[in-house]
Amino acid sequence: MIGNILITIAFIGAVFSGLMYFLNYRGYQNTLNFARIAFHTMATSTILASVFLLYLILTHQFQYKYVYSYSDTSLPLGLLISTFYAGQEGSFLLWALWMAIIGVILQQYTAVRGDLEPRVMAVYSLVQSFLLLMITPMVKNPFALIYSEPFMATANTINSQLLKLPILADYIFSDKATGQLYVKIDQSLVSALQSAGISLREFIINGRGLNPLLQNFWMQIHPPVLFIGFASMSVPFAFAFAALIKNDYKEWIKQSFPWILFASMVLGLGIMLGGYWAYGVLGWGGYWAWDPVENSSLIPWIVSVAAIHTMLVQKKTANENSIGAFAKTNLVLVILSFVLVLYSTFLTRSGVLGDASVHSFVDPGYFAYLLLLIFMGTFIALGAGLLIYRWKYLQQITPPQNKLLSREFALFTGSVVLGASALVTFLGTSAPILGKSVQVEFYNKMNLPLGIIIGLINGLSLLIKWKETEGKELLRKSTFSLVSSIILTIIMFIAGVKDFNMILFAFASAFAFFVNAEIAYKIIRRNLEKAGAYIAHMGLALLFIGVIASSKYDKSIDVNLVKNEPADVFGYKMIFTGYSPTEDGKYAFKILIEKDGKQYEAAPIMYYSEFNQGIMRNPDIVPFVTKDIYISPLSYDDGTSSSSSEGTTLQIKKGEKVKYGESEIEFVSFNFPQDAMQKMMAGGDFEIGVKLIVRNYGSKYEIEPKYGIRNGERIDEPTRIKDANIQISVQSISANEGAVSLTVGPYSSETKTSEVKREVLAVTASIKPFVGLVWLGTVVIVLGFFIAMVRRTKESRV
Amino acid sequence: MKARHYIGGAIILVFLGLLFYNFTRTNIEYESDFTKVMQSGKVCKATGVWVKEKSFQENIQDRTFIFYLRDAKNNEMKVVYKGTKPNNFEIATNVVVTGKYENGYFQATDVLTKCPSKYEGQNINTSGS
Repeated sequence: MIGNILITIAFIGAVFSGLMYFLNYRGYQNTLNFARIAFHTMATSTILASVFLLYLILTHQFQYKYVYSYSDTSLPLGLLISTFYAGQEGSFLLWALWMAIIGVILQQYTAVRGDLEPRVMAVYSLVQSFLLLMITPMVKNPFALIYSEPFMATANTINSQLLKLPILADYIFSDKATGQLYVKIDQSLVSALQSAGISLREFIINGRGLNPLLQNFWMQIHPPVLFIGFASMSVPFAFAFAALIKNDYKEWIKQSFPWILFASMVLGLGIMLGGYWAYGVLGWGGYWAWDPVENSSLIPWIVSVAAIHTMLVQKKTANENSIGAFAKTNLVLVILSFVLVLYSTFLTRSGVLGDASVHSFVDPGYFAYLLLLIFMGTFIALGAGLLIYRWKYLQQITPPQNKLLSREFALFTGSVVLGASALVTFLGTSAPILGKSVQVEFYNKMNLPLGIIIGLINGLSLLIKWKETEGKELLRKSTFSLVSSIILTIIMFIAGVKDFNMILFAFASAFAFFVNAEIAYKIIRRNLEKAGAYIAHMGLALLFIGVIASSKYDKSIDVNLVKNEPADVFGYKMIFTGYSPTEDGKYAFKILIEKDGKQYEAAPIMYYSEFNQGIMRNPDIVPFVTKDIYISPLSYDDGTSSSSSEGTTLQIKKGEKVKYGESEIEFVSFNFPQDAMQKMMAGGDFEIGVKLIVRNYGSKYEIEPKYGIRNGERIDEPTRIKDANIQISVQSISANEGAVSLTVGPYSSETKTSEVKREVLAVTASIKPFVGLVWLGTVVIVLGFFIAMVRRTKESRV
Repeated sequence: MKARHYIGGAIILVFLGLLFYNFTRTNIEYESDFTKVMQSGKVCKATGVWVKEKSFQENIQDRTFIFYLRDAKNNEMKVVYKGTKPNNFEIATNVVVTGKYENGYFQATDVLTKCPSKYEGQNINTSGS
């Protein structure tokens, strides 16, 4: 109840404050106080609602559907807190929470800067109203009780003593396929329990738990950071929209500049944290898979970065007589970056990506889908509508474009290229809506040339002066960078970068790096504050070089590591030494890696997950300065069944035929001796024959490998057919289903080579050169953004 | 001024042309009807349900995973995937395989499993207690 009331108050507060702020802008002086009170009420209620949800999670109140669905009693504190945003409802609440907190700061920021507050806050409140509407009790309510709709809870989350109660008989169901027991929790069960004096809290004693894929360190960081990015992207939008309302386009650039820098910084960081998560834990093998969900947050980021550059031009070129160049472009880009955040939400939340992405949410229900569409549609319509309305005026006051060899034009070109890259990514990511999908190749092919141009412009634009530069001067200034980058490119060429486009990309990135490094070096000593842009650009160049090296020139191989037998992998000696259980009930497979007398250890993880009903795998990384050794586990065979490592496991049902190589194996029937069953039950020796027909190039062989116990030991002797180059043994049988599991392998000589158990760990081992530059680049970019933000915040004061 | 516009326009046209060309060339369609998948022989993303009752093979040595998928019309198709059984395969409600049908089976280069984030109990057979 409390949660619902708080969300409702917050929603009403947001709507009311938006309205009051707007009226205040239209001249009603006395509404300003109401607006502020309403806004702060909204913020307080949103914060309290979040605290309340956190309290419910921490105290394990499983009578709440959300708490039940995503947490359980076994999670450590950090992960338990992270279940706050493990589902749709909670992640919308988290978004609204950041909006509330950022909003309070924004209110203070705008209150002391001219007449900004009513306009900006009106728009901002409108955005927050929509977000809060999504989590009101009618839509995606994080505070819904579990029985609000009939709910199937697994029996193991219910107090087992109470399960025996006679009143429960009608509510217990079993799934025939899995044998899993469920309890149907609905209104009538709750009343029945109530009359028996049992509270729902005593009844449901555990939750379903958090998906193991999410159970790791990065779950605690990546989503919150990403959502700060999403929330702060609405601030520059509010400024742009406020400018359109007032029809005044000069001041908003300066005033919103620190905000868009902050938004881009945090969103970019959030995206890369997700990349590291995918790389280090999920074992995707790389940090970027062009997965639609990754892409959808990348697109607004690229557009916002483009906006930053053209905003800079407008800021520089503005004077008493002119609003500055690219005024229209800036409005369009800033509005677009916010709308694209909404589009990203729509793609990932509405279920339209259902089949296309690994980590989008499932279908949220028609109502929420519609609401998301309206949310997005409203802001597209408002943004586009007002722009069109003001367009003619904007056209008149925007000064004409500049000289070709000017920094203004270079920055503009940079933005256009960024825009093109955003368009490419947008198109590919949106394809599933049309029931299509593009291959990863599409993104790489299209973005590579754009990356080259971005690298070149990144460097060139800084060598060119504002207004106009002489060609000769340009050449003189760029000597150092040109020479250095040519040298670096040659080194990379020798190291293996042979692909023409890649050479160009490497050169462009190196050029960008040296130009920025040179300038940054000069500036930092005099005035660190002004070095932000150069540091960020240097970071981007580093990231680019890291991308080139790690994605295009990585080496990867599948190897079978036999326990205690060294294997040579890319010049490293790798020895699998055995496995040990970890603290959280998983298994770490230890691999010793040796080279030049130095030893390292990797311990990739595999475990069976009850939640996912399957084997889960986590890679492990041995980082070096110049490369990462990346080991992801594939499978482990303990050697007890003579099988898997030495052959293929085939499961065949009676009457079926399965191909193996050139042979076809048909399972005809079992040959049960009459007393086999009894002997088997008694634990004595028994033999069951498995009648098979093997066909190979017209030849037909009828064989009968045996399954059972002979002299107290499992029969483990393959039946061999030399002419068909095949040998078959029985791994297990399932008499009830009429199926057998066979181990089939190529023919080998009669005498067994060894009786020793061979424990085999299969892994994919990769060498990823300079992948560390990707992370270093990210950190440097964030640092650069941060320095720039500090500087622009100072400048924004009137 | 004029010349610059022409050059800019030309660049944009070339870019859009490339974009369109690459988009259509790398485009794969989703197909939930296996008869069409089998006939066309083109690369596509086939969506279906894993046939748990049928035999499957997991070959660790050359890392192939062979299983059967069924579409909504009960057509079954053999899928050969070069790789290990993906995470979440057992509980997947839907499997999306990327590849093409050739020589009597679907050669998958990628297997994506769609998991229910909520079971909601829709698959449960009521058999009483």
